[in-house]
Amino acid sequence: MVEKNNFPYVPNEYESEKASNSYLLSLIAIMTGFPIPLFNLIAAVIFYFGNKRGTYFVRWHCMQVLIAQAITMIVNSIAVYWAVGVLVWNFTLTNNFISFILTVAIFNIIEFIATIYSAIQTRKGKHISWLIFGPLTDLLVKE
Amino acid sequence: MEQQKVDMFLMSYGKYFEGHQLMMLRDKLTNLDDSKFIQLQAANLKDPTTLLIVSIIGGHFGIDRFLLGEVGLGIAKLLTCGGLGIWTMVDWFLIMSRTRETNMQRVQSVLY
Repeated sequence: MVEKNNFPYVPNEYESEKASNSYLLSLIAIMTGFPIPLFNLIAAVIFYFGNKRGTYFVRWHCMQVLIAQAITMIVNSIAVYWAVGVLVWNFTLTNNFISFILTVAIFNIIEFIATIYSAIQTRKGKHISWLIFGPLTDLLVKE
Repeated sequence: MEQQKVDMFLMSYGKYFEGHQLMMLRDKLTNLDDSKFIQLQAANLKDPTTLLIVSIIGGHFGIDRFLLGEVGLGIAKLLTCGGLGIWTMVDWFLIMSRTRETNMQRVQSVLY
């Protein structure tokens, strides 16, 4: 899920701290706003705009968190809608629903672990690029 | 400015700035005219740790932003109850670096 890549320059101490904070914020947002998927995304957006004038390293990691949260929000929203449908609106409980919920749970657990790992490594000044989100971030963030 | 005064200033206010700014600040202060020292001391610099504590305690009412001198953002934060808690939480991570940036801007307004 994650890989260590070379970055164009060696980030300073304060850059590593800010980049690491973006992952920490995402962790806290997951814990406090778990039932509401939109909560995490809003927190990531505010943090990105707070660091919009920051250095390339900081912006890159804020954007990676933002993209990850956006995709997680979409997946989680579908899961919440479907689960509410089954529990409240009497949708049929199908194998598709169970497999989807399991997939979403595994996706969230992997994302959670990757976030913790990235927060630790980024604090040490290492550049961590996630599997799909990393290349996407490369395209969106300009040096 | 005398080297002793510069060192005293940096010892007192060093943690109010980003680490990478200190060398540049030291050079600028060394070349600064002595008459500006009083102005520099009256620059109303804020302690980032104090602002973090204020943000944790009174962040929902925007008090941290008011203290930083960002009245507009403070009012917006106050009226939205800290952006329904989200903005408050984000500010726990942003406020210290924002305070250091503001301090640097205030010192620069004296330097230039």
